[in-house]
Amino acid sequence: MRLEFCWFCSSKIYPGHGIQFVRNDAKIFRFCRSKCHKNFKMKRNPRKVKWTKAYRRLHGKDMTKDSTFELERKRNRPERYDRNVMENTLKAIKKIDKIRHDRAADHIAQRWKPKAAKERREARKELEQSISLIKAPLAIQSQEPAITVPKIKVKAPKQQTVEDQLMEE
Amino acid sequence: MAQYDFKKITVVPTGNDLIDIVLSRTQRQTPTVIHKGNAISRVRQFYMRKVKFTETNFTDKLSKTIEDFPRVEDIHPFYGDLLHVLYNKDHYKLALGQLNTARNLIKRIREDYVKLLKYGDSLYRCKSLKRAALGRMCTVTKRIGPSLAYLEHVRQHMARLPSINTGAPTILICGCPNVGKSSFLNKITRADVEVQPYAFTTKSLFVGHTDYKYLRYQVIDTPGLLDRPLEDRNIIEMCSVTALVNLHAAILFFLDLSGSCGYSISQQAALFHSIKMMFRNNPVLIVCNKTDLQTLEGLSGEDLKLVMEMKSAALDVLLTMSTITDEGVMAVKNAACQRLLDQRSERKMKSKKMPTVLNRFHVAMPKPRDQKERPVCIPQAVLEARAEEAAHEERKTEKDIENENGGAGVYSASLRKHYILADDDWKLDILPEFLDGHNVYDFIDPDILQRVEELEREESAVEEDGGDFEIEDEDFTAEAEKDLQEIRKRKKLLIQKHRIKKSTAESRPTVPRKFDKDRKFTTERMGRQLSSLGIDPSRAIERARSRSVSRKGRKRERSVGGDGEDEMEIDGGLDNKKKLRLRSRSIEGFKDSAQKMKAVTMARNATKKRNKDARRGEADRVIPTLRPKHLFSGKRSIGKTDRR
Repeated sequence: MRLEFCWFCSSKIYPGHGIQFVRNDAKIFRFCRSKCHKNFKMKRNPRKVKWTKAYRRLHGKDMTKDSTFELERKRNRPERYDRNVMENTLKAIKKIDKIRHDRAADHIAQRWKPKAAKERREARKELEQSISLIKAPLAIQSQEPAITVPKIKVKAPKQQTVEDQLMEE
Repeated sequence: MAQYDFKKITVVPTGNDLIDIVLSRTQRQTPTVIHKGNAISRVRQFYMRKVKFTETNFTDKLSKTIEDFPRVEDIHPFYGDLLHVLYNKDHYKLALGQLNTARNLIKRIREDYVKLLKYGDSLYRCKSLKRAALGRMCTVTKRIGPSLAYLEHVRQHMARLPSINTGAPTILICGCPNVGKSSFLNKITRADVEVQPYAFTTKSLFVGHTDYKYLRYQVIDTPGLLDRPLEDRNIIEMCSVTALVNLHAAILFFLDLSGSCGYSISQQAALFHSIKMMFRNNPVLIVCNKTDLQTLEGLSGEDLKLVMEMKSAALDVLLTMSTITDEGVMAVKNAACQRLLDQRSERKMKSKKMPTVLNRFHVAMPKPRDQKERPVCIPQAVLEARAEEAAHEERKTEKDIENENGGAGVYSASLRKHYILADDDWKLDILPEFLDGHNVYDFIDPDILQRVEELEREESAVEEDGGDFEIEDEDFTAEAEKDLQEIRKRKKLLIQKHRIKKSTAESRPTVPRKFDKDRKFTTERMGRQLSSLGIDPSRAIERARSRSVSRKGRKRERSVGGDGEDEMEIDGGLDNKKKLRLRSRSIEGFKDSAQKMKAVTMARNATKKRNKDARRGEADRVIPTLRPKHLFSGKRSIGKTDRR
């Protein structure tokens, strides 16, 4: 028993699901459900179909390179059974899974970060430009300018510690 | 000695058929189109080709026939004589000769006409020459028609001749008609020859095969012979005579002791003596048949004497048998075969080749050196091992265990028992294959924990960093936020208004401001809007009012005077006009908006009751006819009527 990956959407295929197609050149295509199978028959390229993992990885939406992936390799040579190794492996799998999950979440959060800044910039601009809709320019001039405060970039103290460390070393 | 196969001779066509075949071939296989306008050389070539082609075909076919038929001189004398007997050698040779002549004639015709064609000067002349050539060839062929027919006959008959291998050991059966030759053949071989009570049932030679001492013998059955001089013999008898004379075989002369064949023993003896000289060196056996009817002992003295005479002539070989009771049949066969075998071996030994062959053989027999016994030698270790194995108990096999536990379908052998592991307790562990959607086997690694620890360290290091991030002050104060919201709301309202305006643009008239019936454009409104923007509107209102039309009108009133009546009059007069002009379009038909409002309220109240009663009003949809005929009946001109 082995969990395979769907050729089209890269999702896991559990036993008893999906279809396998063997081509004349002996290449095996596994599909998790008929949706993927039908898309394949239509000769669609998964790298162009938005909802597949292949697309997401190609366009940088999901994490591609990570050390956690190296721990999971398909081994062709069977190893002799060792209970301790098996125990450790089972524990390790859980940890690795968590780490991978967290890292993937980080990746996505990182992707979303610049959006907030952009939104703020646009709001500021809008405020400047369209203030005339609610306040007449005369009124504004008479008022004190206290709308916007210039942004301050504050670097975290981490850098200094790194420098310190380097100095120490 | 070869076995002749007369079945492979090609069919000989009749004269007319041959002509048809050759001419149609010419027609099909040579080009057919030629014109007067073509160059003369081309015309000549065209016709020459036809003549040559026809000649070649004739020659080929005739040559084939001539070569296929055997030459009487070249074949074994037995067959030569047989052919002569059956078909008359001379006639046969003549026919073949005629074919040969025809062939030569055709060749000569072709040579002549090709020479003539070389100098043909017109298409017509060449064509005539070709016609003449072909015509002559056909005439020649027609003339040999009878020969062809005869040869075809001969071919058909020859194909049915028995295939006798002249070199193989043969047994020849001869004797008077009806003595039992064919029945004997049937007995010893698988041949199925007709056996009937009348004479000359067998009209030609028949061959059967039998085995003796791993050798195959041919047995030839001949038609019966009568005691006649050679010249008087008919074709059938001549067949058997041919066989007797030409074949080297063991001859079985059959005697019928009982005389039921229709010939007495004396007649049979006479026959024997007359054909004696034909036997030459062949081994002869006298076989007395039909002993069930008459035994040898029961013969009369004279007959016995005749028989004995025959026996002495045949080198004292006399056998008795009865084909009906099968008594002695096998003995006869064995005796005949044996005699033949002996003779053949003798002959071989006497032949010139034998010493050369014998010289090559030498069988060496080792002489014993001494009388010591030398048995088989087996090393001691092997003997011990064998003894041990025999004494060794049978161990319990997996198969036995399986059978104990219920057989093949019920019990499946546990392969885990024989696993080689570091610790034997682990043999019966249940191994998980999946965990949380991962294949466990993909992760197995002896130092997996180490690497996981490294990973965790990495992670924690990254966390401590917190990462490089920019702190930006919330640049929006609460006021600014509020303003932003206001702006956005205002924008939305504008968009909505614009959309309504756009959608109703077609039905709404574009009216200039002076016909403002809804009284939108008032100074109060302006004042409100300006104050919402944060500007003091009073000055703007003043200015607007100072320039309005109504203001100007009021000025005039004041100048005239403050008389109430006058005022009233003027007011009334002017007021009416004004009122006419100022009356908004929406108050059409009514005195003022108050009146209109009242009217609207009254209308609403009137319909309230009706609505409460839920009665059908004027505005409610009415279907005058619920089932109009044209929808519920009739066939459609195209389409189905399963929906109405």
